[in-house]
Amino acid sequence: MKRVVVERKILERNESSAQKIRTILKNQSVFALNFMSSPGAGKTTIIEETIRMLKDNYGISFIDGDLETDRDAERIKALGIDTVQINTSGACHLDADMVLRAMEKISLDCDLLIIENVGNLVCPATFDVGADKNVVILSVPEGDDKVKKYPVMFNVADTILINKTDLLGFMDFDMSKVKKEAKQINPKAEVIELSAKTMSGFDKWISLIERWISEANQY
Amino acid sequence: MHEGAIAENIVDILKETKEAENIDKIVKVRLKIGIMSGVMVDALLFALTALKEEERIIKDTEFDVTEINVKSHCVLCNKDFYFKKGDDIMLLCNKCGMPLDIIEGKEMEIIDIEAEQ
Ligand SMILES: Nc1nc2c(ncn2[C@@H]2O[C@H](COP(=O)(O)OP(=O)(O)O)[C@@H](O)[C@H]2O)c(=O)[nH]1
Ligand SMILES: [Mg+2]
Ligand SMILES: [Zn+2]
Repeated sequence: MKRVVVERKILERNESSAQKIRTILKNQSVFALNFMSSPGAGKTTIIEETIRMLKDNYGISFIDGDLETDRDAERIKALGIDTVQINTSGACHLDADMVLRAMEKISLDCDLLIIENVGNLVCPATFDVGADKNVVILSVPEGDDKVKKYPVMFNVADTILINKTDLLGFMDFDMSKVKKEAKQINPKAEVIELSAKTMSGFDKWISLIERWISEANQY
Repeated sequence: MHEGAIAENIVDILKETKEAENIDKIVKVRLKIGIMSGVMVDALLFALTALKEEERIIKDTEFDVTEINVKSHCVLCNKDFYFKKGDDIMLLCNKCGMPLDIIEGKEMEIIDIEAEQ
């Protein structure tokens, strides 16, 4: 019997593909956001409203990995945005190779690349897709216990958006508890309360993206 | 169930190692999985067992997983904080309130293998 030292990261292949993505995007001065949440938390709706508010000043491309319906991609295409859909049939997460292949089919002559990940609060957290920032959305109807239940996902967030705040009056949702738990698992992530229905909180969210993009362009 | 994808990545690395080291049979594989990696060890072992059907290279292989607890560090206080499975992970220093850096607990690694030549 012989012992062979391996000492290799299991996801080294994904890591190197994610690194490739970062290099390509950096060379083209494209800033990339990776949106993650449970199904139905509001990824597509928030992306749609975000695009509406940014598209006059920024070139935007969109990679849709949310397999729910291809109506999602249609909604974004209707805004005049270059869109490609990843066929994730069966997959519970996007990986960097899927995103790399999708990038070949899309214009990178843009300032902002938006990636909508598969609706799932577990699996996408483990796979780096080469984005500059991870946006994790929690919606009020999902309940105020989700941060504690899914610490890995909330830990990888660069910002946590709490969506559907227009429904706060109808649910038992303890906002201060959620914010406290978010701060414990991820002290650096800014938490922003949003409603994609009333548009409350969008000013704050949009200025965060604009700040991120201008910071990225300084390097 | 992303553990299926993780299991496939493990098998890919084992195939490369088998080739490079001229190994006949992989008897045992030791893995290191952090409790903050997002990988559930039971689900991973299940996925590896399921893969044995189609991947002859791991047909008789035993997988041994070491789970790595979270070690976090405050740079200001130069103090370490530890969390194990089931603990509420609080990444704020209880002395100075600064965010802690995670030093250990996110790993997903193949440490070594025992093989017959
Ligand atoms: N009341 C309310 N509904 C919302 C809000 N944001 C999204 N929705 C609704 O939630 C449902 C799921 O949204 P969608 O964007 O498709 O979620 P996704 O699966 O995460 O992409 C849709 O019916 C949206 O109209 C919100 O802020 N308030
Ligand atoms: Mg969607
Ligand atoms: Zn401290």
